[in-house]
Amino acid sequence: MENSRLNPRLRIAMVVARLASWIVRGLRIGEGAALPGRVLLRIYPDAMKDLSQSLPTVLISGTNAKTTTTALCKEALSGSFGIVSNVTGANMEEGVAFSLISRESWTESKSLGVFEVDEAYLAVIGTRLDTKIIALLNLSRDQLDRVSETRMTSSKWRAFLGANPKIKVVANCDDPLVVYAAQGSSEVLWVSAGLNFRQDARSCPICGGEIEFSDSGWMCGCGFTRPTPDVTIEGRIVVVAGTAIGVELQLPGQCNVANAAIALGIAYLLDVDLHSAARRMSRLAEVAGRYKRVSVDGHSVRLLLSKNPAGWLEVFDMVGDDPSVVVGINSRIADGRDPSWLWDVPFESLKGKEVIAAGERAWDLSVRLHYADVAHRVIKDPLGAIQACHGDAITFVGNYTSFQDLRKALDGSETPILNSVRRLGEWIVR
Amino acid sequence: MTKIRVVSVFPDLLGTYGDSGNALVVSKRLALRGFEITLVEANLQSGVPADGDFYLIGGGEDGPQARAAELLSIDRLVEQAMARGAAVLAVCAGFQIMGTSFLGPNLQPRNGIGIFDCVTHRSEGPRSVGELIVEPASDLGKMPLLTGYENHQGVTELLEGARPLGKVLVGNGNNYGTKVDGAIQGRAIGTYMHGPVFARNPGLCDFFISLVLGPLEPIDDPELTVAHERLYSERIELVTK
Ligand SMILES: [Zn+2]
Repeated sequence: MENSRLNPRLRIAMVVARLASWIVRGLRIGEGAALPGRVLLRIYPDAMKDLSQSLPTVLISGTNAKTTTTALCKEALSGSFGIVSNVTGANMEEGVAFSLISRESWTESKSLGVFEVDEAYLAVIGTRLDTKIIALLNLSRDQLDRVSETRMTSSKWRAFLGANPKIKVVANCDDPLVVYAAQGSSEVLWVSAGLNFRQDARSCPICGGEIEFSDSGWMCGCGFTRPTPDVTIEGRIVVVAGTAIGVELQLPGQCNVANAAIALGIAYLLDVDLHSAARRMSRLAEVAGRYKRVSVDGHSVRLLLSKNPAGWLEVFDMVGDDPSVVVGINSRIADGRDPSWLWDVPFESLKGKEVIAAGERAWDLSVRLHYADVAHRVIKDPLGAIQACHGDAITFVGNYTSFQDLRKALDGSETPILNSVRRLGEWIVR
Repeated sequence: MTKIRVVSVFPDLLGTYGDSGNALVVSKRLALRGFEITLVEANLQSGVPADGDFYLIGGGEDGPQARAAELLSIDRLVEQAMARGAAVLAVCAGFQIMGTSFLGPNLQPRNGIGIFDCVTHRSEGPRSVGELIVEPASDLGKMPLLTGYENHQGVTELLEGARPLGKVLVGNGNNYGTKVDGAIQGRAIGTYMHGPVFARNPGLCDFFISLVLGPLEPIDDPELTVAHERLYSERIELVTK
């Protein structure tokens, strides 16, 4: 299908959505996909279906590491396909719909959709698109005021895969809730991608009994047990169905090697050369502003985003030798309104570092840090907190909106006029 | 002085909303007053010890909740410990299973442990999600308003022996109709407040401790006190504004 053959109403909707995106980004009130996507779907409700014609698609879902894995996957496959993707993290219907309008090629052979999808929207989006592969990363507690609980999500995934037997699955066999979901499908490539946070995986999704974890896997008395992995990781070597691939990433932490292993699993199913996929992934230095180091008043600051206990366990792996850590916690809708999860994070491991609690819920964090015996200060403004650090290397860890706030502050240089226009824009959007 | 044993009950089954923090707060507030503490994590593998002084149980999903109830009803150690003078804090799903009956998976009614005289049904209305502010019952003595975060579908009806923990000013608590939250019965406190509730309300934590140990000295840690006060005033301000 040619672009010019699209439904005229859809073409109008695309123009209006592009305009909305331009305004949203110009006024810096968002990453520019969610609101324009809503506009697109409002004017032309079938946009997602029409725009995804002859576009085979890979979906990536899970509680953590969706955005990073999607970016790695996009990189890994970029030598073989023209990729349409949503790497800004707009991962519900409207975000995916909007990213489809940037599709350039309308021929079947070379285009591939690679989308991260919110765990609650996998079935809805998976049905609307020409979904060939689904990658399932992990499931753990996150924003419990918004997303239904993990076991329910796992059951819904399982039912969806059972009803769509043509979809191939790449799944993390170290996470029992992911395995339960993936076993709805008969064609699964199992990746041993690890599971640091086991608190939500201790009771069996089948019988309710206790799952026992050991170095070699996990099992339950009822027979539910870890499948044999097809893809394994040894340090920086990923072995895909017998072939060893060296993975040297710029992204920090062992967790990102695991994310790369998932991407290699997808590449394997698509017959992409795995060595060149790995080489391409090594070029990636940041993902939507995450992981990169920026310079602030002579401090070197690494920016990390973490929004739940499982994500925090990976953060501790990435903080490394940085002597100072600033933690920003907000509780707006996008963050989840209830930061109780701070008590599930072992902040005790920050002892000995210079720690500053920041963000709108800095006092919740401060109380938590007191009970963890971590000496700290409270400076609510994230940028002010960074400037107040004594260490020259700083890790900043924010949850979603706190991270965005800091990025805006670092971009700085807003004129007063633009600032008031932005406020007006925010007011209109609200 | 003998060691005080603080028991976090099945945090691996019922600890979804940071509720295991309650055990940490109790332990630290005892330690700051000079008590010697053992914090016991009673998980599926170790089972629940019989010789605890404080037992704390939190919230979680339906399947694990039913499993916890099953395990606790086998040897009834928590009840025995209570009879010997221990205190119990039960939050959300933990509160429901400590009652007379609750709904298991597939909405089948199940027997609870019976520490509280109360019955939990399921609300037909929307899930109760949001900030909860509770005016403490007079049983709690002089105590400021309590704050927490509720997230549940349960409707808990108090029967004869259980008195409400307090009157709901903001949110739902036990029930859309009666406007009360939680229960207090003997040395057991139940509530729908996460946060965790003792981190949000150190006064309630100290009251809980005093149920076992009698009147307490105030804590001499000005920085901790300030952090608690700032957190508390932000929560109260947000929902009363
Ligand atoms: Zn089992």
